[in-house]
Amino acid sequence: MMSNSMMTMTLGGGGGGGGRGGVGGGRSWPSTTSVSASGKRIQKEMSELSIDPPPDCSASPKGDSLYHWVATIFGPPGTPYEGGIFFLDIAFPIDYPFKPPKVLFKTRIYHCNVDSAGNVSLDILKDGWSPALTISKVLLALRSIFTNPAPSPADKPLVPGIAHLYLADRVKHDELAAEWTLRFAR
Amino acid sequence: MFRRNNVTARIFERQMSNPAPGTSVHRARRFYENIVPSHTIYDIECPDLLFRKFTDDGQYLVTFSRNHQDLIVYRPTWLSFSCKVKDCYADGLPNKANKFESFFTQLYSVTLASTGEFICKDFFLYIEGKQFGIFATSTAQIHDAPAVGGAIQGVPSIEKITFHLLRLEDGVILDERVFCNDYVHLAHSMGGVFLYDDLLAIVSLRYQRIHILQIRDSGNLVDVRAIGKYCHEDDELFLNSSVQVSSNHIENGSQHIEHIPETPFLSGLKQRLLSFIFRGIWNEEDDPNLRMQCLKKKFYFHFQDYVDLIIWKVQFLDRHHLLIKFGSVDGGMARNADNHPAFFAVYNMETAEIISFYQNTAEELYSLFELFCDHFHSSSKNSSLYMNFISSHSNNIHALEQLRSNKNKATSFPQFVKKMLVNLPFNCQSQSPSPYFDQSLFRYDEKLISATDRHRQSAEHPIKFSSRRQHNILKFKIKPGPEAGTSDCRNKKICSFLFHPVLPLAISIQQTLFFQPAVVNIHFRR
Repeated sequence: MMSNSMMTMTLGGGGGGGGRGGVGGGRSWPSTTSVSASGKRIQKEMSELSIDPPPDCSASPKGDSLYHWVATIFGPPGTPYEGGIFFLDIAFPIDYPFKPPKVLFKTRIYHCNVDSAGNVSLDILKDGWSPALTISKVLLALRSIFTNPAPSPADKPLVPGIAHLYLADRVKHDELAAEWTLRFAR
Repeated sequence: MFRRNNVTARIFERQMSNPAPGTSVHRARRFYENIVPSHTIYDIECPDLLFRKFTDDGQYLVTFSRNHQDLIVYRPTWLSFSCKVKDCYADGLPNKANKFESFFTQLYSVTLASTGEFICKDFFLYIEGKQFGIFATSTAQIHDAPAVGGAIQGVPSIEKITFHLLRLEDGVILDERVFCNDYVHLAHSMGGVFLYDDLLAIVSLRYQRIHILQIRDSGNLVDVRAIGKYCHEDDELFLNSSVQVSSNHIENGSQHIEHIPETPFLSGLKQRLLSFIFRGIWNEEDDPNLRMQCLKKKFYFHFQDYVDLIIWKVQFLDRHHLLIKFGSVDGGMARNADNHPAFFAVYNMETAEIISFYQNTAEELYSLFELFCDHFHSSSKNSSLYMNFISSHSNNIHALEQLRSNKNKATSFPQFVKKMLVNLPFNCQSQSPSPYFDQSLFRYDEKLISATDRHRQSAEHPIKFSSRRQHNILKFKIKPGPEAGTSDCRNKKICSFLFHPVLPLAISIQQTLFFQPAVVNIHFRR
């Protein structure tokens, strides 16, 4: 709890948002305050995102829940994903930004870092997460896996088969990925 | 110019002058003003049948047995008799005119329903060129069916629905297709099945698929594709084969793939729909900031609503394009879905593309409907000539005037648009091509009778058909029910009319809501 409030303090100072209600006294926070702290942070990121969205990406809450977002990424030109539109579910945890958001592909994709249930392996969404990261950064990172998949065994790709093909026969891999895009992501 | 309009004058005129180019059919049809089903035989002696309809070529009268088990097909014949005296009609018609069998010859009777099944009495589609008929039988509905195996919540289930393909000439069952634990709207007004040429679209409400079947000349029903979870016919095969290739390295075989319970992915059709909507809004606005605002309001906020939409109804616009109506689960089951939000999409099933998408309040779609109604109505490109004479506001000035007057009377235009768009997608083969419903020939009260096949509340008075051209001269009347009327005014009476597509012959069936036998009248030209 203590470390949490410490982080909020630094974050609150840096970002201008933060949960001021909980800083004094060091008592445990009422849960509503922490919700609104993460809520405020998400709101802030939302307005930043709409002012300066990353290229070919957009994201916004679905319905009126601040914690459930949908993101849309255009398959980047020059990749086998070109021409596709990929929808992703983003769920923010209640203790965001201390825990990373959960990202799930809603559109089928032939990619060594996305498994057959739509889970995506991205370091910054796991151990590499830092509260300093934002949804814009996450979108940029997601977009970068389209252009630069991480197939090497060291990266522990979720679908080793696709990773293997990517390394062994790039042309074949790209053909398949393009066919998937045409069939499932248009 | 003054014209005499009796038959003799018309025949003379036909002999002497050519009609204007391209109007010979129109002129020939005017003879129907002279030849009308004005004579009624009340309460005809008739087997206890459920009358479905005349086929659109007039070859067959399709009926079902009262217990919903058998199909009984008749050939319409004309009452013929001989008499010895000079003046045949002096004593009225002979006694046998009171018999149903004098007008219709039974061709055969076949049992369609197997154990536990009943014939859906509202369902019948006719493939005119081949003289094939499609019938449906089903078991009882289960209302609180659990949504298992990818079925959606809130849709009832029917254990077995069977579609039968029959050769109507002799009643031979050529093929059948069974849907298990599924739900298909079989009532004519619900649009669950649509026939275009030799293509049949069946909406599985429970599994949200549009099954496209082809009826081959050989009499086989062949699966063409199923649209819903996937778009192309080989998507699933492709997916399984390429997943198998890539998963071979971790585990052998594809066994585990089939056991992934619920796929987290959007269905094929939803992906197309959502990306179509998204692209539309994205391209509308160039400024990234404003674009984001637009997307937020118009797309992301409603994202889940779009995901939750289900396919309600479908019709073919041509061999490649489907008009699909989407809505909520509740609206899909309601008979009167007017108050539920609904959407229309035009989908090209060959290229698997959404061509356009409208809400049911869209004025643009309404204006297309007003101007090009017949394009929505097409059920085939090569149906018989007189099918082109089914009156609509796009081909008939009187129907258009009626529509305009309704439009002007409407208190709120958006409400009017919504009300009119309830008609889309059109129901298949639900309109009678009888010339007596041709609004350029006859005027009649559309509240009491119309070309649209449905039951109506029976009126106490005869229904009048008057001439459209000759200053509204009364041409004939049709009265369902007993001649003297009924003394019993408490029970609601429901009637339906079956008009022969070519002959001056109609059947009216009047039923009270209680299980009394129906009163069947035959209307014909004596």
